[in-house]
Amino acid sequence: MFLKSVFGFVFCILLVVFGLTDKLQKKVDKVIKSTFEIEVFSMDAKLFSKEITGDLPSKFSDNNFFEIKKEDILLGYAYVSKAPSKTDEFDYLILFDKDLVIMTSKILAYREDYGGEIGSSRWLKQFKGKTTSDELIYGDNIAAISGATISVKSMANAVNNVLKSIKILQQKNEL
Amino acid sequence: MDVHRLVMLLGYKFSDKVQFVTEIEYEHVKEVYIEQAFLNYNLNDHVSIRGGLMLVPMGIVNEYHEPTTFNGVERPNVDKSIVPSTWREIGVGVTGRFNEVSLGYQAYVFNGFTSVNGEKVLGGSNGLRNGRQKGAESIINTPNLSAKFDYYGLPGLRLGLSGYLGRTQAADDIQDINGADVGVSMFGFDVRYINKRFSARGQYIHALITDANDYNTLYETNLGSELKGWYAEVAYNLLPLGKEQKLDAFMRYEMYDTHAATKDANITRNLSYNRNEWTTGLSYHVAPGAVVKADYQLIDNAVEGNKTKGQLNIGFGVWF
Repeated sequence: MFLKSVFGFVFCILLVVFGLTDKLQKKVDKVIKSTFEIEVFSMDAKLFSKEITGDLPSKFSDNNFFEIKKEDILLGYAYVSKAPSKTDEFDYLILFDKDLVIMTSKILAYREDYGGEIGSSRWLKQFKGKTTSDELIYGDNIAAISGATISVKSMANAVNNVLKSIKILQQKNEL
Repeated sequence: MDVHRLVMLLGYKFSDKVQFVTEIEYEHVKEVYIEQAFLNYNLNDHVSIRGGLMLVPMGIVNEYHEPTTFNGVERPNVDKSIVPSTWREIGVGVTGRFNEVSLGYQAYVFNGFTSVNGEKVLGGSNGLRNGRQKGAESIINTPNLSAKFDYYGLPGLRLGLSGYLGRTQAADDIQDINGADVGVSMFGFDVRYINKRFSARGQYIHALITDANDYNTLYETNLGSELKGWYAEVAYNLLPLGKEQKLDAFMRYEMYDTHAATKDANITRNLSYNRNEWTTGLSYHVAPGAVVKADYQLIDNAVEGNKTKGQLNIGFGVWF
């Protein structure tokens, strides 16, 4: 119990530094803990220069790409951003291992009725194991969901762009 | 030629938790309807509470009625004569989903159909359709229950199970008269499947009407005691995946009967209400949200010697 409140305090500080809302941060922490099977870790925003992030297909300029470390050992990375749904935006998280292979992904907040099915753990599993050399094609290697086409395409597109961005960052020796 | 519907979605987000959603529809240019107008309070990731004018979750098309979401110029007739799309009523309820098990749910208390709608009563040809109050000066004396479960945990597959239970609404001064209202129980099962360029969907709807005999006597009409309908549709995208555009060739068989049973309703069964249709055509999705459609329908019914009628439909739909 005591430990928990200490964490709560630590996360509040993280919130100020990285600009993730408290609620999002809590959800991100939960996914990291269960995916890496750890309790204590640090999350530091990895910053890139503006000239580099400006050309990337995904947003990397908002302190939204993090290194996950335990006692200074790099475990992996977390990417948090927004993508459009039918009439709103949803928040998503992609977790990578230290070699930038996708470990898991999660819809952190979905804000409308239509398309909420993309939050399905079963559906999100498809992204697991994908790397920067994979090209995701909606309806082909990413299964469609009836009644959620717009959001499915949007999420597939978002993951695709993040993978492409990481590839560019790797080519520029930034990662 | 007709501008059949123009739908406008408007919403206001008071906060991340509180949202107001409206959908306004213009039909045939001159009729204006509010299709949805409800306040939604998002309690947590799994539960939202909402109240107002909402869609009754039954089958596929009533909730997903934008032209880009279904094949064919016209909506399937099961979603017109059995499920009276766009079926919406005033009520309160809960909705949400459990993504760990890929299950969505909705449960509402609605005011129901009205027994008499101005000059119109419920009847043989289109079942309950005339009873829709659409939120306009609605009357209520008995609440109706509606629920739907959606399961989307198998790749490409989506299953829906819907139920609706209640009675029609009668005005205060006549509600104690025999036949002033009828009982309505409706059950629906729907399935949608998509795998690469192939897609399919189907739906079965069955409604039981109780006390139809008294109702038919009182209002001199011919409402059946059972309404039943189903359809099955397959489609194949003729364009390669990965292309922005999509060209679906589809075929649908549909059967619907608003006199599926009449004995308990004390009326003669009208076989011309036992209708079936073959629809085959193309849906050309020029861009996401814009579709041009053309189809040909063969329309028939169970009357002996009835001649099959052919009908060509061409239309376009947009969503943005």
